[in-house]
Amino acid sequence: MSASLLLQAVILGVLLGGLYALLAAGLTLYFGIMRVVMIAHAAFLVLAAYLAWWINREMGIDPLLSLVVTVPLFFVIGVLIQRLLVSRLKPLTLTMMSVLLTFAVALVIEGGLGFLFTGTQRRIPLSYASDSLNLFGAQVPVVKLIAFGLAALSLALLFLLLKYTRFGQALRATIQHPEAARLVGINTDRVAGYGFGLGLATAAIGGTALSLDATIYPSLHWHWIGPLMAIIVVGGLGSIPGAAIAALVLGVAQSLLQLPMGPTWAQTVFYIALFLTLMFRPQGFFGGRLAKRF
Amino acid sequence: MPSASNPGPVITETIVVAPSAPVRPSWSKWVRITLLVVGAALVLAFPTIAPNPYILSAGVVILNYAVLSTGWNFMGGFTGYISLGHAAYFGLGAYGTALLIRNFALPSFLAWFVAALLVAIIAIPVGIAALRVRGASFVIVSIAFVLILLLVFQSWRDVTGGSEGLTVPRPFPDLLRPEHHRVFYYLFAALLAVALAVWWIIDRSKFGTALKSIREDEDKSQSLGVPTTQYKLIAYVLSAVFVSFGGGLYALWFGDLDPIFQFSILIGSYMVLMALLGGVRNLFGPLLGAVVVGSALEYFKLEFGDTQFHLIATGILLGVVVLFMPDGIIPAVKALFTRSSNQASIREVTAGELLEENRARSAETVPPRRPDASGEETP
Repeated sequence: MSASLLLQAVILGVLLGGLYALLAAGLTLYFGIMRVVMIAHAAFLVLAAYLAWWINREMGIDPLLSLVVTVPLFFVIGVLIQRLLVSRLKPLTLTMMSVLLTFAVALVIEGGLGFLFTGTQRRIPLSYASDSLNLFGAQVPVVKLIAFGLAALSLALLFLLLKYTRFGQALRATIQHPEAARLVGINTDRVAGYGFGLGLATAAIGGTALSLDATIYPSLHWHWIGPLMAIIVVGGLGSIPGAAIAALVLGVAQSLLQLPMGPTWAQTVFYIALFLTLMFRPQGFFGGRLAKRF
Repeated sequence: MPSASNPGPVITETIVVAPSAPVRPSWSKWVRITLLVVGAALVLAFPTIAPNPYILSAGVVILNYAVLSTGWNFMGGFTGYISLGHAAYFGLGAYGTALLIRNFALPSFLAWFVAALLVAIIAIPVGIAALRVRGASFVIVSIAFVLILLLVFQSWRDVTGGSEGLTVPRPFPDLLRPEHHRVFYYLFAALLAVALAVWWIIDRSKFGTALKSIREDEDKSQSLGVPTTQYKLIAYVLSAVFVSFGGGLYALWFGDLDPIFQFSILIGSYMVLMALLGGVRNLFGPLLGAVVVGSALEYFKLEFGDTQFHLIATGILLGVVVLFMPDGIIPAVKALFTRSSNQASIREVTAGELLEENRARSAETVPPRRPDASGEETP
């Protein structure tokens, strides 16, 4: 296999890893805030992709513009999910029951999409879909670059928001020690709700980025939730930098393995990494103790 | 019970007072026995009552769900570890049985047993990996395991037939279809009876008590000397084996396997939904849930066919159960017949409820003691 093919695989892997990193950051937020494993994250991702496709079909505008609608909408939905559903669960069984609850949400979304748009595979027709840039002899599709740019920009914004704003400090305090956060006057319920909103907003951005160059169908989310959950476990549950590193490493590994093994078998790399992590380092590679990073 | 000999609880920050022993009315035992006999008679008589083979086949499907859900409950009910991926063992049992018959020409039911044995061997490393961590990661591994098996069985065409599926040779080739349904109905009923019996034995054993202590508080249980990891692993493997038996019998009955159905997360979530709906702490909870959810699913398939409506219905039902009825139907119905809410013995109270009770107790200056609360051990 030629060097340019290898280079291309690495670049595509990094681009894919960027998208994984953004989505994994959302999952990490939910887990950090309330120890919730949000199975419905990928379902919302597919929902956002469908909204981009639908807006494009009905109004003929660029799918990227749908972000103006989907990001605020998903933020509100995230707040509502936290306030109306997750916060009603008993604290003792929260993690297990939240899995089931968000699983139920995922089923409703998948069923709803199938009901409204049927199971037909959809794709947004884009004028620049087949354009590609030549980077050091590797052909990189423009849509993948846009998706990566979107993901990287959102991750950077999320990082700045969490690190330097008052709200970010309050959120990190809530993650580290909810009771202490309440003692210093943080309204942890409200902050947790907004944190969920932020997490779901990453799904809106990721879904729009995904809709640019992927064929979408209602049950697509199962192909995303597995790798995403593997990433957050390998990275160490609750650590956003850990999730980002794991996302990039595994994204590149998947992309490289696609060359000899084909796309289907290459996906198993996530599950093998998950299995090995749990066997040898169950707390994850980059996270260590939960939520110490942010 | 400690509360019997003590003069009265000392008022400190936290007092653990065992709730008074449940006073079971004398007719309760007879009600149970009658219900059991009537239920068993209904199950056994169903093939003769069923008006047509279609209804009978729906009965077989529901019994299959009951076997799977009861099998799931060995893990979910006793230890509180909720696996969304038990469909993996359903698929492995089914494919294992089919492949052993096809490739090694084993007799059907021998293949069924060997497949379950192989599943047990596979479940051990998976269980060890999944049980290294608590809660969240366990669920993640359970889902990932189904997804990876789906990938493998879809892609590994030479062995599994890939997406075209796999036909399973029939164990009774000269039976007509209605007779075939009837035979398998009784086979499934027998398997269910065995699963229920084993669950009942564990429920009353020391092993079962240890498993339940893991469910209530794993750290305390460990500190009391329960070998939690080994016990969880035993429960996990046992659960996988029963689900695999269900899957293998399904393969022999249905005769046609498709990776998307065998390894669907939906099957795994049905097991959870059925067990939760009926009540994971009750022997017959999963069976009851399987009857309710299974009939509803068959009805939805009949009425709405290929639409995705059953997904929405399943999702909403699961959400409602998790939010409003996490203990299931059986405890809810029982509560209707028992007067006081404080009648459960200590082992049927969750750690959370006990904590709240103790808080309420320590808030009162002198905890009221009923004279009849002599602390008799429950039979």
